[in-house]
Amino acid sequence: MQIISKGLKFTYNKKTEFKRQALNGVDLTINEGDFFGIIGQTGSGKSTFIEHLNGLIPVESGELTIGEFDLSVSAQKPKKAYKERLKLLRRKVGMVFQYPEYQLFAETVFEDVAFGIKNFFPEIEGEQLALKVKNALELVGLNYYEVKDKSPFELSGGQKRRVAIAGVLVLEPEVLVLDEPVAGLDPVGKRNLMELLHSLHGTVLKTIVIVSHDMDEVSENCNRVAVFSDGVAVKVDTIENIFADVDFLVKHGLELPLTAKIKEDLKAVGVDIITDYKIDNLIEKIYKNYKG
Amino acid sequence: MLSDITFGQYYPASSFVHKMDARIKLLLLIAYIVLVFVVKNFYGFLVVYGVLLFLTLLAKVPITSLIKSASAVVFIIIFTFILNIFFYKTNNPTYLFWIITKEALEFSTFMALRLLALVFFSMLLNLTTTPVALTDGIESLLKPLKVIKFPVHELALVMSIALRFIPILMSEADRIIMAQKARGADFESGNLLKRAKAMLPVLIPLLISSFRRAEELGDAMDSRCYSSSSKRTKFRKLKAGWRDLVAVIFTAIIFTAVILLNNYVGGLV
Repeated sequence: MQIISKGLKFTYNKKTEFKRQALNGVDLTINEGDFFGIIGQTGSGKSTFIEHLNGLIPVESGELTIGEFDLSVSAQKPKKAYKERLKLLRRKVGMVFQYPEYQLFAETVFEDVAFGIKNFFPEIEGEQLALKVKNALELVGLNYYEVKDKSPFELSGGQKRRVAIAGVLVLEPEVLVLDEPVAGLDPVGKRNLMELLHSLHGTVLKTIVIVSHDMDEVSENCNRVAVFSDGVAVKVDTIENIFADVDFLVKHGLELPLTAKIKEDLKAVGVDIITDYKIDNLIEKIYKNYKG
Repeated sequence: MLSDITFGQYYPASSFVHKMDARIKLLLLIAYIVLVFVVKNFYGFLVVYGVLLFLTLLAKVPITSLIKSASAVVFIIIFTFILNIFFYKTNNPTYLFWIITKEALEFSTFMALRLLALVFFSMLLNLTTTPVALTDGIESLLKPLKVIKFPVHELALVMSIALRFIPILMSEADRIIMAQKARGADFESGNLLKRAKAMLPVLIPLLISSFRRAEELGDAMDSRCYSSSSKRTKFRKLKAGWRDLVAVIFTAIIFTAVILLNNYVGGLV
């Protein structure tokens, strides 16, 4: 599903004295198959934008289409049909919020993971349901038999997050949107989670969108990036082009990823290394350069 | 969205009312609440609502936010109105139709007007006073109770924490609602029972996170050696000034006017 946003605008607390323009005309396209990164300073509208992607915030002005789903204002009527379409859309666009572990509620891990299935596919029951839950839990690296009957609140922080993500993956979405997915995880947890996303990418799950302020995470994983600033996507481009323009990043209050910093430093002493921004590739190139 | 609700919402502005001492505002609120029940005829209510309008304009708060706050209590007002109509008894009633008497109708209307004015006055205080100033004011007013070992400071602390956490929990609820909606939760259809049940996936995480927050806040306070028994000074000192004097005099005049109206025009109830 291709995601196309044109002139998307949104104001919080409209009509009150607390109003705040969060999106100020966002133009961007996320292609099917992208591992898309959204970066920008706090308050730049990243989270507000992704909340539009499965209709959690109704489009206020501008156009937004997600695959065959048109979410623009003109398509929001009749209301009943729009709601039905939203339901279909939400099956296909999974949303993992920041600190998803805080949304856990059920008595057992099984129940929590099965929540989405029960809402969207009430006809799936019994063994079929158990199989789906088992698959989802195993995807995120948890032992189904060990955790299924536990209370989600007994688990460790990292495990809780996995359960929460399993609760979204169980629906087998085509698009997965994650808001700061690795925030608060230790380095190993980060790496595992990103590896999980890569292993899923290209299966049923076609498109991944992550919001992050960790440049290393973005440079390491994404192929295309949008830079948000003051509610506008000021630049949408490939990783290579985004991180090559240092002045632009600094102007928008963003840091360089570690790999880019190393490249810059090496350049300053006369060693020009041509590679992408993935850490392994950089190390390999530096090693080769050193030997050669 | 939940955060749209104006509840205990401070409206930042620079006005006469905003600059008043929170203690005086609290005392005057009590005075106005008494006044609302002293009023005996429609002229009195005219004065009361005139004062309300004047204060709203003076405070530079939008009238809409005041009216919006009333929507929360509309149910209670209608409920008492209906109950009063049927259950108010007088000695020699004038029947209008069926069992509805003129007296009951008047009494119910007055009661509704009183409740509404009460809400408006309290809301005006809420809109023009920061929660911190409010709790400081309450603490200061309750100070005499310390003599009988009443934990005034602790009470004020509990209140200010509660007030502070309302917007935090609201935005958290918003986020959890979104997360569950994304997983197909439906909060809008079905009967009342079904809807109440649908709220469970929101309420449980919210409850758990408030415990978590309470614990974190407790730890943070402990780690900074917070203790309520130590004598502490205030960063913002409450100070009554000329504005407060003017306000007190103004209120006294209004009070007198209403009592005079009661005596000369007479009470309808």
